[in-house]
Amino acid sequence: MSRSPLDYSINKPLSSRFNPLVFIVKDLILFFSLVGVLSFGLFMLYSASGQSMSMVYRQMIYICGGLILMVFVSHLRPNSYKNLLMHSYWLGLFLLMYVLIVPAKGYETSRWIDFGFFSFQPSEIIRLILPLSLVAYLCRKEIKPQLSDWLVTSGASLTCAIFVYKQPDLGTAIIVLTSGLIPIYLAGLPFKIIASYFGLLIVSAPFIWSGLRPYQQERVLTLLDPDADPLGTGWNIAQSQTAIGSGGLYGKGYLEGTQSQLDFIPESHSDFIFSVIGEEFGLIGISLLFLIYGIIIWRIFKIGYSAESRFERLACCSLGFIFLLFILINVLMVIGIIPVVGVPLPLISQGGTSIVVHLLAFGVILSTKKI
Amino acid sequence: MKIIQDLKKDEKEIQSLKSRSRIVLVIISFLILVGLSKIIQLTILDNNDYVTESDRNRIINMPLFPSRGLIQLQDGTIIAENIVFQGIYINRKFIESSGAQIELLHEKVLQDRPKVSYLSYKGESKEKIWLVDNLNEKELAKYELYKNSLPNIKLETSLRRFLPHKNLFSHVVGHMGRITRDDEIDFSTEKYLSDSLIGKVGLERVYEKSLRGFPGTSAIEVDVFGKKIRELERILPKRPSNLTLTLDLQLQRIAREELADRRGAIIAIDPNTGYIKALVSSPDYNPNILNGSEKGMPFSKVFKDQAPFFNRVISGSYPPASTIKPFIGLLGLEEGVVTPKTIIEDKGFFQIKEDGRKYRGWKEEGHGKVNLRKAIVESSDVYFYELSSQLTVDRISSFLNKFGFGDITGIDLFNETKSTLPTRNWKLGTIGEAWFVGDTINIGIGQGYITSTPLQLVSSISAIATKGKIYKPRLISNSNIQEYKPELLMDVELEKEIHWEIIESSMIAVINSRNGTAHNLFRDKGVKIAGKTGTAQIKSLTDQELTVREEYQGVRENIKNRDHALFASYGPIPNPNLAVVVIVENGESGSAVAAPIAQKLIENYQLKFKPNE
Repeated sequence: MSRSPLDYSINKPLSSRFNPLVFIVKDLILFFSLVGVLSFGLFMLYSASGQSMSMVYRQMIYICGGLILMVFVSHLRPNSYKNLLMHSYWLGLFLLMYVLIVPAKGYETSRWIDFGFFSFQPSEIIRLILPLSLVAYLCRKEIKPQLSDWLVTSGASLTCAIFVYKQPDLGTAIIVLTSGLIPIYLAGLPFKIIASYFGLLIVSAPFIWSGLRPYQQERVLTLLDPDADPLGTGWNIAQSQTAIGSGGLYGKGYLEGTQSQLDFIPESHSDFIFSVIGEEFGLIGISLLFLIYGIIIWRIFKIGYSAESRFERLACCSLGFIFLLFILINVLMVIGIIPVVGVPLPLISQGGTSIVVHLLAFGVILSTKKI
Repeated sequence: MKIIQDLKKDEKEIQSLKSRSRIVLVIISFLILVGLSKIIQLTILDNNDYVTESDRNRIINMPLFPSRGLIQLQDGTIIAENIVFQGIYINRKFIESSGAQIELLHEKVLQDRPKVSYLSYKGESKEKIWLVDNLNEKELAKYELYKNSLPNIKLETSLRRFLPHKNLFSHVVGHMGRITRDDEIDFSTEKYLSDSLIGKVGLERVYEKSLRGFPGTSAIEVDVFGKKIRELERILPKRPSNLTLTLDLQLQRIAREELADRRGAIIAIDPNTGYIKALVSSPDYNPNILNGSEKGMPFSKVFKDQAPFFNRVISGSYPPASTIKPFIGLLGLEEGVVTPKTIIEDKGFFQIKEDGRKYRGWKEEGHGKVNLRKAIVESSDVYFYELSSQLTVDRISSFLNKFGFGDITGIDLFNETKSTLPTRNWKLGTIGEAWFVGDTINIGIGQGYITSTPLQLVSSISAIATKGKIYKPRLISNSNIQEYKPELLMDVELEKEIHWEIIESSMIAVINSRNGTAHNLFRDKGVKIAGKTGTAQIKSLTDQELTVREEYQGVRENIKNRDHALFASYGPIPNPNLAVVVIVENGESGSAVAAPIAQKLIENYQLKFKPNE
């Protein structure tokens, strides 16, 4: 490792039609799709936050910071930060332990780290750190991963999940576990091990259920019949469904959504911002959003499949699936298919950590692309 | 070679990654499909339901209530009006999170009031929890000052019913109250709120629809906290009608004063129209307290066991006692059973031929030789025992029914009872026994099974005053929309018109003859009145061995067992314009207690028609 991380791209021969923009952002389609979704997100945030410009500005700062970080990371050589990435697992684990031992004051659950001017949930970071560190770990040697590697990575995922569960946050724990298992699976986890994991899960299922806190059991149960208790736990879902359903095909128009503007949708600026989109822009707006998301995911896999090393390919595909999964979980939650879990709509929901971490992940993806 | 191997290895690996990705994609695609179909179901298939649902969330149709119609006298004197109340409340949803605001409210606005724990309201189902319902001006000013620090505590202005004369018209006007199941209000068609007030008794109840008017609607857009954002639509309410009472303030006052501290009923009616001039039931109550426009107790504790809410005029069933005698006499004449000259020997008792049972008159030694006139003037029981035993129950019942006994009059008040006009079938059905001659004989003096309300009594006595015409008793003569004209209820036609005069002259003689039971009313140049006294027995005197007087002395020890005093009358003669029935519960003497009240009312009423001197 004699070369500096930056000189890889500098040494590349310039193409005949030099385009400085392509040089900076590497993938025009992906970049502009991201900027498109992010701008749309700001636009929606203004509506969903009760037209609060200050919230929009704050979000804009995070977006700009995130984009700069993304561009920076995208010009690093993956091999140069691979080891760093692998060891970042310990940072993630430390943060998860830290919130359990030193819970931030003023919050009901110990999920937050509060720096006063800025607070964040380590679980949002671990969702992306974990898969990348696992990929890095599995690709640290040239040879195929051994049984011990599989068990170590699975164990590492489970450890993170358990720490998150202790916060307590069952939904995020499952998501963290999933985001750990996806790269392990993609890396070629043998089917025998998969089968034994399933066996283990089935055997332990009753114990897990009885180990859940009553409110967590209730959350799982509201999923089955959200209408049964319209003012209790299912009220959020019912209101959000009403918002989307009443939006219809064309929507009620920007800033005209009654459910969102009159505060019937809880957390409309963060986790439930999708219902504001549905209410104000209807099925057409939703479809357009999905289309851009689709383009982004297509680019991720396109870049991933043409990447040079196993690490790069695995990192891209894992991040692509995790990105898709987060969108899916958020949407399914908002429309009432799955229980309410704390997953923001990627790149759109209000929240600095989520935006920055996602954009960092796109930096990693872009860094695997050669111009 | 190594590079080619590496490439091959890479190729294999990419294939494995792609196939594994595909499997993940298949699983995720399934979830995507589920999500998309749900979104299509929400936005396209069930769109209408959700539009309705979201409108129901945000639009509240607030009824706009016009202020309730006034009730006033002919001369414009206000009897029932509305006064403004400023109340503060908390929405039920926010009561638990408003502890600090309630603290502040007590500290800054309501210093002079005792603290109350509002969490005790938890169980109630009402949406609004009222903290204070009548802020005074000082408190109102302070509330305005601290309004912004008290976002959950809302001010609402309401109108409450107020009767300036308080108790005086309580049994006429009645009071308002919260809607209960008994009111049978269909909230879907009638615009009442769950905390609306509704007329519970009296005119307030009977004329609820007219007094209320027709509420309009204001469609208001609210946010999730119920805060008003803007008004979307407004339909103006229709104004209610103001009602004009037939009552005479002066008579009403006198009647209430005369009954003060007594239990009883007074009803005065114009026999030519049915318009009621005085209606008092005692004890009474202060409707303002029930209307929420005054604080305190609706009646004093002294009246607790005396049913102050009970309107004795229309709901009290009393034995008519001797006041029934003119009607029995009239029937005797009509049926030809007696003539004015028929004489019956009154030895103080009447004996039934079949079983030898003795029925005593009120006068132990008897009235001697008695004709119809003397029987009415002196109120001979034995004469009417004899007469009614010959008339039989069937003829008596059907005749009395023509005068309104056993039927409601249809007065514009709530809860009128029809009392009991017994027949053979009635006794068989209700008591399960066959009719005895003794039962008929008791009816002949207005005792036994027969009962009537003071209202029925005044209605029937007015028929004698008008020679057969009974007008429906009315409290409201007109509203600003319509006039309630006198309504002829019954017209009793006799075989011989002269019979009216015979009865009337006997009833005049009750006062004017030296031997009349109400001769104490006689004034040389006074207003000429026709009347009949009555003394209704509460406790029947059955022990035949005791003399009447001895037995009664024992019974009257307990005030509640004392006889009711009755007087049914009309005047002046000729051209009577007021029929009056007075019942004083446990008053014992119709002539000494009840009759002077009736006389006072009739006399006083005449002052209205005299030119000012």
